[in-house]
Amino acid sequence: MKLTIVSIIISVGLIGGAIVLSRGALVPNGNIVPENNVSIVNGKQIIQIQARGGYQPRRSTAKAGLPTILRFSTSGTFDCSSFVRIPSLGMSKSLPQTGSTDIDIGVNQVGVLQGMCGMGMYPFEINFQ
Amino acid sequence: MKTYTFHVQGMHCHACILLTESELEEVSYVTKAKSSLSNHTVEILGEFGDKSQDMIAEELSQVLIKHGYSLSVEREEKIKNWSDFKIAIPIALGFAVLFVVLQKIGLVNLVGTNSVSYGTAFVIGIIASLSTCMAVVGGLLLSMSATFAREGDKVKPQILFHVGRIISFFILGGVIGALGSAFTLNTSATFILGIIIGLVMLVLGINLLDTFHWAKKFQPSMPKFIAKYAHGVSKLNHALTPFLVGIATFFLPCGFTQSMQLYTLTTGSFIKGGLTMLAFALGTLPILALISFSSFSIKNSSKAGIFFKTAGLVVIMFAIFNILNSLVIVGVIPPLFNF
Repeated sequence: MKLTIVSIIISVGLIGGAIVLSRGALVPNGNIVPENNVSIVNGKQIIQIQARGGYQPRRSTAKAGLPTILRFSTSGTFDCSSFVRIPSLGMSKSLPQTGSTDIDIGVNQVGVLQGMCGMGMYPFEINFQ
Repeated sequence: MKTYTFHVQGMHCHACILLTESELEEVSYVTKAKSSLSNHTVEILGEFGDKSQDMIAEELSQVLIKHGYSLSVEREEKIKNWSDFKIAIPIALGFAVLFVVLQKIGLVNLVGTNSVSYGTAFVIGIIASLSTCMAVVGGLLLSMSATFAREGDKVKPQILFHVGRIISFFILGGVIGALGSAFTLNTSATFILGIIIGLVMLVLGINLLDTFHWAKKFQPSMPKFIAKYAHGVSKLNHALTPFLVGIATFFLPCGFTQSMQLYTLTTGSFIKGGLTMLAFALGTLPILALISFSSFSIKNSSKAGIFFKTAGLVVIMFAIFNILNSLVIVGVIPPLFNF
């Protein structure tokens, strides 16, 4: 009985802690990369994404109908996010531990392009409008 | 000559059939013993004289007790110990929350350097063992060691797993360094491995709960004919399996392991490559050792039931996590987790 109470208290504490911590962790993550991570240079749309412990920004908004390049920047990235996977394009690419990698994804229709790391736990998405 | 049928408690694997049969046939007055895994019974033909069936059950139980089996005339209602779940569920949930918290606090960002020394590789190993790789390697290890521990084999399989893992990381790391080409999993291999690992863990996890007996039929264990060659005792199963699984962890889908392998590729030498992967494997050792040896510390205590149910629940959660992630990378379902 005592054990039950103790374990319930511990789990409640952990769940509470998780909520507090994840709230704290998510806010700065969203601010690291500014919203205007999409630029158009010489008629090509470049979407910058930082890959390290996940992808930032998680969600980008871009224009549909333009030739598009995803530019992943890594710095000391050893986790899953150095393996980019976009299932709908059948694309898998490993990024260098530190550097910048351009991936040409061509012209996209209006819609949401979903990508994730090679093992599936870090997602990102690009909303083409 | 008479034939009696007894119910066997503790019979859970193909090797158990051979073990119970061979042990019972050693008894002087037993002519033939035939065990059945599906209904947990043994049919015994022999000269029992005027002993009652209860007496025989008691006598023969003495023979089998050292292997953890006992015989009874009446089918003993399995005590399911549902009350264990009252404690196991909160602990397992707490563990799951701890796992999520570890991912959320951004441990992966602690690796700040761009050059990889052996020390860095060690630190990356520690971080990897706390990352989502825990769901794959840790989950597989927990399911395996808890399963072995329940069958009474506590220390040796765990040690063999770690020995296999460390040796393979050094040698295969060295090979990658020397050859200059890394073994990388493509998406379909990651998917297939992820699904297989997920399913194996799911079955082992359900078995650890010791609640749903139909799942035992699916338990991946040695086919009976191989067991027979292995002297009727599951020696092979308990030694070779963990060793091979330890070696195989080199190839398991884990972002950190694969990144380290890609780095090792650039070292260009057997020794440097081998030592880098060795340092990485040693970094993962403390947490993995904690996982595998947690099961033997608790085996004989009264809390064993709680431990195995907790382990089962954690393994099932990791199994589902792996299966869902595998479905995500092939695009069957949209990303669910957001670490």
